[in-house]
Amino acid sequence: MRIRLENIVKRFDDNTAVNDFSAVIESGELVTLLGPSGCGKSTMLNMLSGILYPTEGKIYFDDDDVTFMSSEKRGIGLVFQNYALYPHMTVLENICFPLEIKKVPKAERIERAKKMAELVHVEGMLNRKPGQLSGGQQQRVAIARALVKEPRLLLLDEPLSNLDARLRIEMREEIRRIQLETGVTTIFVTHDQEEAMSISDHIILMKLGVLQQYDKPQALYDQPANCFVADFLGNPPINKVAGVVQDGKVLLGEDKIDSGIKVDVADGTRVWLSFRAESVILDNSSSLRAKVIMTSVMGKEVITSFDLAGKEVRGYMDANAELQRDQEIGIRFKNSGVFVFDYESGERYL
Amino acid sequence: MIKKSFFERIKPLLYLLPFIASVTLFTLYPIVNVIRMSFLEGYKYLSGAYTGVGLGNYQKVINDPFFRQALSNTFRYVLLVVPISTALAIVIATMLNQKIKFQSFFQTAYFLPMVTSSLAVGLAWRFMFNDKVGILNYVLNIFGIQGPSWLTTPAGNFIAVVVFGIWAILPNTIILLLSGLQNIDPLYYTAAKVDGAKTLRIFFRITVPLLAPTIMLVIIINTISTFKMYHELFPLFNGPGIAYNLFTVVYYIYYEFRVMSPPKYGYAAAAAVMLLITVFIFTMLQRAVQAWSRKERGEDVKKVKRHRDQNK
Ligand SMILES: Nc1ncnc2c1ncn2[C@@H]1O[C@H](COP(=O)(O)OP(=O)(O)O)[C@@H](O)[C@H]1O
Ligand SMILES: [Mg+2]
Repeated sequence: MRIRLENIVKRFDDNTAVNDFSAVIESGELVTLLGPSGCGKSTMLNMLSGILYPTEGKIYFDDDDVTFMSSEKRGIGLVFQNYALYPHMTVLENICFPLEIKKVPKAERIERAKKMAELVHVEGMLNRKPGQLSGGQQQRVAIARALVKEPRLLLLDEPLSNLDARLRIEMREEIRRIQLETGVTTIFVTHDQEEAMSISDHIILMKLGVLQQYDKPQALYDQPANCFVADFLGNPPINKVAGVVQDGKVLLGEDKIDSGIKVDVADGTRVWLSFRAESVILDNSSSLRAKVIMTSVMGKEVITSFDLAGKEVRGYMDANAELQRDQEIGIRFKNSGVFVFDYESGERYL
Repeated sequence: MIKKSFFERIKPLLYLLPFIASVTLFTLYPIVNVIRMSFLEGYKYLSGAYTGVGLGNYQKVINDPFFRQALSNTFRYVLLVVPISTALAIVIATMLNQKIKFQSFFQTAYFLPMVTSSLAVGLAWRFMFNDKVGILNYVLNIFGIQGPSWLTTPAGNFIAVVVFGIWAILPNTIILLLSGLQNIDPLYYTAAKVDGAKTLRIFFRITVPLLAPTIMLVIIINTISTFKMYHELFPLFNGPGIAYNLFTVVYYIYYEFRVMSPPKYGYAAAAAVMLLITVFIFTMLQRAVQAWSRKERGEDVKKVKRHRDQNK
């Protein structure tokens, strides 16, 4: 099912949680709503589920205006952060409950619930109570319960936040598998950029209720729309050095060191030069000089932190260079993963 | 370890002494004394003389038509008051737990019995029950119902005391159930509503089962307290009903001890011991239920806490 959001605004008293939000979500995709805590992700999701209604704007499911339609008529499945499984019902009863409400005959109910249980791999624990399951198993049951009535749209609000790191990775792969197997249009909320990058067809990145960028995960990483997007994605975080533009060149720090990066904006514009750790190359013939602070091994990579124009930054350097503390080095940048943003507005110039 | 002086070692005991003394004097001694009395036949309280030792008092009491009537009244009273008040309290507590209009008015109205003297309130009810000028029959009349003669017929007496008993027991019951309701995560309701569940289904399939441990607790506590019913009889009828037809077990004890002349201390004690055993059984049951519900809820407390920590 295709979802169209038109200029959605949601205000709580005088606090605007979502502002002028427009997006189209294509049928069968898994789209992630990503952003820091409090940026309005849950509010947006709750408007899609009908738990909340927008202050302004319209929501369309295919061609139906569902803006003010009540939850139960929308045909959605909802998965909560803390699962919200009914503690007094067994796994089977939990999965059956949405069908019981729809007055599906009992035999069919159980058959469909069992199929769902198989899909999410909990078929061996149908008679257990939620309290007897691990967090990951509970989340599987919650997904089965959300999917059993064959919703047009599956909504998941931070479904992995209560799991430990290893289970989180396992479960996000599971969610992707289940989504691909069922082909259900899915909106997934998270504040974890790695999670979003790994499972999404598209990511919507939000900040303070405003959509920042809506794109494929790789595109968000390679071509961030603004400074916020660049800062939010990537591990290690993107390097940022403050500078100023003169004669179309970005000069870094107090000493106005020429970065060798060219940008077409007015002289005197204050900017951020942002670059990814993998976009910096060791080149001792370069006139751009830096001083090594330390090197550390991260898995099979070696990451070097060094002082560039008074700011500590990091880069994946040649592992064989055997750099020493306080050693002076020359560096230059690759063509990709290097950006120039306005210092104040975060607008992207390069 | 440093050796403590004798005084240091008995110091805690000295602090506890007032408590131990008062419990012994006012709780343990009377219980032991009542148990002893129940086995002494023909016991005279003032002289301490008795004619024999044995189960004679128990035999007499069990065969006493007044005691049998008291037992039957008490059971009928408990069987009416406990289920009705529990059911009413569940409905009222559920309503109070919702964001309804006039919530504070309802809260005041339902909790009034708690903060007023039961004797004064009993007298007020006596006026309300009055056949001629009472408001109850006046209101029933408006709906075309011929109200019972609450105070002037034996059957009416029983209904009156049941109505009064239900009213008096409601506030505590509601408070307990409200606290139980507030322990239910509202997310369960959201989940059910999104799936299209209506109010009644949510109530019976989610609220009531999740409230079950509290409901059981309430039933047991109320059974114990209604079993001991007797002081309600005084403001309403100055005694056990107009025809001496409303003997309850506790009233029977009071009667044998205080009203009979000469007093039958042994009978009263035997009846008291039987009541004690009954209440004791229910108390044990209550402890078992509480332990069980704490275990059930332990899961949830952890989950909710984890959820909160995550949201920090
Ligand atoms: N029911 C509400 N009443 C008032 N403010 C709310 C309500 N729900 C959310 N907000 C506010 O809206 C903003 C977005 O909240 P939310 O959507 O929960 O963020 P997220 O899910 O991205 O962490 C926050 O500032 C929050 O305080
Ligand atoms: Mg949220």
